[in-house]
Amino acid sequence: MAIFAFIQQPKHMTIYLAGDSTMANKEVKAYPETGWGMPFKYFWDSTVTVTNIAKNGRSTKSFITEGLWQSIVDNLKQGDYVLIQFGHNDEVPTKKTATTEVQFHDNLLRFVTETRAKQGIPVLITPVARRKFDANGKIQGTHEVYSEIVRKLAAEQNVPLIDLDRESQAMLQKLGPDNSKMLYNHLDKGENPNYPDGRADDTHFSELGARKMAEIVLADIKSLKLDLANRIYVSHLGIK
Amino acid sequence: MCAVICFSLVMMSFMRQPTPIKVYMIGDSTMSLYDIHQFPINGWGMPFANYFDDGVMIVNKAKPGRSTRTFLAENRWKPIADSLKSGDYVLIQFGHNDEGDSIKYKDRFTPVSDYKTNLIKFITETKNKNANPILITPVSRRNFDKDGKAKETHIAYTRAVFEIADQYKVPVIDLDKRSRELIQQLGPEQSKLLFMQLDSAEHPNYPVGRLDNTHFNEYGARKIAEQVLNELKKQNNPLAAHIVAGTNQSNVAPAAK
Repeated sequence: MAIFAFIQQPKHMTIYLAGDSTMANKEVKAYPETGWGMPFKYFWDSTVTVTNIAKNGRSTKSFITEGLWQSIVDNLKQGDYVLIQFGHNDEVPTKKTATTEVQFHDNLLRFVTETRAKQGIPVLITPVARRKFDANGKIQGTHEVYSEIVRKLAAEQNVPLIDLDRESQAMLQKLGPDNSKMLYNHLDKGENPNYPDGRADDTHFSELGARKMAEIVLADIKSLKLDLANRIYVSHLGIK
Repeated sequence: MCAVICFSLVMMSFMRQPTPIKVYMIGDSTMSLYDIHQFPINGWGMPFANYFDDGVMIVNKAKPGRSTRTFLAENRWKPIADSLKSGDYVLIQFGHNDEGDSIKYKDRFTPVSDYKTNLIKFITETKNKNANPILITPVSRRNFDKDGKAKETHIAYTRAVFEIADQYKVPVIDLDKRSRELIQQLGPEQSKLLFMQLDSAEHPNYPVGRLDNTHFNEYGARKIAEQVLNELKKQNNPLAAHIVAGTNQSNVAPAAK
């Protein structure tokens, strides 16, 4: 019986998160701003460790030049997953971190190739939506070009794709221009001690938005039938 | 030699760092801590603790399901009273379980008269230690009438808190009212986003979903915590001096940092 249990015990594995501020861990002094990697790490059973390497302000380029990517490659073990979500800091040409479309493609391809070389499993994620509506209350895409690069690369390289840009836009549309503010770091003046003058941020999430985005990613992990889905925490809360 | 140096270093660090003021929180599920496998439920005491400087240590002793009576009966209060030091604080928020149906929730039900007696006990034993009690009216439930008006859900128990606060000259935060204003401002639909309302399969911790108008999610808990923080400031409570003064700017570029 003990031997049987030993054989059945699945191997421990790590999910690495590679991305920007929309995914990153935050310092307490930046709360309630929340990256979606923060609630995401609580979805898993005890065989999974989520290592969130995502960092504010990073593009595919600066993630590489600062050695963040290498830190993942160095630690990757067979069967580990790497969830890759960039774009926000690649696609703005005026940013120091900007990448051309070709560079963005090539950097993502490098992430995929080097993950596979270590027998890890890459998952590509399109950049999560900004909150931008037109005058008629219709959601506007803000990553059209760079999201399309991610989609095409995923198809070409046969990499599992989570189209978070499209799905988060759908969620924003469903909530509408007003209610969707609750998903982002929108704070009145004097509301929160960390932001005495208030805040109207349509890129970075509140706790609620971060969790909702993490839930989208989780739902896709299930519908893509990734092995990972077998390691989602199983709760019996509310089941009688 | 090293022993001498190390000893003096330890002594110096003792001298430089005053013991932080302890802020004990006593109350029910709407205030308490939660395990990660109960997330996204949060008691408002959880985000509340993130907004103080090093001079304060938040000690959240609130427990789900407890009324003033069961909190005392389970010996949850005495260890706190015993360890209180001069200058510490005790934040007191009960009511949800005290006011439960006297038959269905017989195990926790506490009539208003006993509720008052118990609040008086918390207050006097806190004051006996030269510590500072702060009374908080029970945070509102989400309950709208058919015209979309947020209903009062703790009338008698909130009134009791005010009576005792007045009688014993204790600061009171009317969280019942503040939170009901927030719920009203958001309205019947949007206010659901403050509470534990989850579709089935949305969150692994709640496989059959949840439809809860009492317990807050992480977002609602933070909004409630902000109300308590801002009331402390408004009342010029000395504790407010330890609330952090953030430096994050109000404006933000459209793109991610």
